Amino acid sequence: MIANEEGLRRLMRLSQGGDKQAYAILLEQCGAWLARYYRQKIAPDAIDDLVQETLMSLHRKRASYDPSRPFLPWLAAIARYRWVDRLRQGYRNEADSIDNHDPSEDSHEEVVAAKISIDRLLDLIPASQSEAIRCMKIEGLSIAETCQRTGQSEALVKVNIHRGLKRLSALVESE
Amino acid sequence: MKQGFSLDDLVNDLEPVRPFNMVRAIASVGAILAAAAALIILSKGMRADVMAGDPEPMFLIRAGLLLLLGGGCGWAVLSMASPAVGKQGQSWKMALAAAALFPLAALVIAMTGRVEVAMSNMRYGLDCMAFSGIGGLATAIPMVLSLRRGAPTNPERAGWLTGVAAGGLGAFAYGLHCPFNDVVYIGVWYSLAVGVCALLGRLIVPRLIRW
Repeated sequence: MIANEEGLRRLMRLSQGGDKQAYAILLEQCGAWLARYYRQKIAPDAIDDLVQETLMSLHRKRASYDPSRPFLPWLAAIARYRWVDRLRQGYRNEADSIDNHDPSEDSHEEVVAAKISIDRLLDLIPASQSEAIRCMKIEGLSIAETCQRTGQSEALVKVNIHRGLKRLSALVESE
Repeated sequence: MKQGFSLDDLVNDLEPVRPFNMVRAIASVGAILAAAAALIILSKGMRADVMAGDPEPMFLIRAGLLLLLGGGCGWAVLSMASPAVGKQGQSWKMALAAAALFPLAALVIAMTGRVEVAMSNMRYGLDCMAFSGIGGLATAIPMVLSLRRGAPTNPERAGWLTGVAAGGLGAFAYGLHCPFNDVVYIGVWYSLAVGVCALLGRLIVPRLIRW
């Protein structure tokens, strides 16, 4: 079952009121939504951990959701914050490659959600910074491989990652 | 998979919560501001022209700009408690731009040499800073509590803006007593009060609200 805005919003409202049955469904649907959201934005073997961290944040910060507003942009802000935080912690992916996901398989809901996606967030920072972040922090390339792929020097890669992550954290709520 | 993580644990841990409500958050800041203003009036007295119901134009401009600054930045701070992608509160930029009027005007006039009021009343200027800071601290408390309960995604900006908002509102409260109408005095001492609060906000608030 694919989560939709209206359904999630209703479940969240019930959850804020203490409805455990609604909350169990909400967490399950948010977990699935987050797994799709993070796909290709972090190493495949790190997705589960990041989804769990985000669900824990959802749990701790559930009072911060204003029920008069849409739910998915709120969840996306929480998810982006956790994602940037994870990248800043210096996570290094040791996986060799990322899975080949075809975006055309995505549901209409996901296409509509493009504006709140992580790709959109990466588009908001300079290309040299997003390129360095994609290579090292998402694909898990070594610094030498990143230099080779991007044509940037080692020092420049480090500076671009540092500045890029700083910018990303300031842009979490940008569309 | 993280050790010990279970959706069932989160479900079992669920308790009802009071959802974020902007109106309630604004009301709490407003109530503290009113209390701070009342305390300043009770302890220092109200400006004579305001008391007489015939306020000086400079008082009105200053009070309006400080309220705009504190209100605009305070609104942005409280909005940050409930994040959402696409929710770009920019009110604080307009408020900051408007509030830059006094320091800029003070700079221009200071260059003509008319600085005697600001410099010869340094003791009052320091009073202005201290009382604005105390009033600001009081109004910062509900803002920080809202941020701690909420989920601000940019703690550094939240810190800056909390400081500016608190400084602006604290200076507004003190302004109900402050008898000076000199542009350089206002530009120097009020700007210093807001600037110091902003710096303290940047240094202290992010540590309290990170999640």
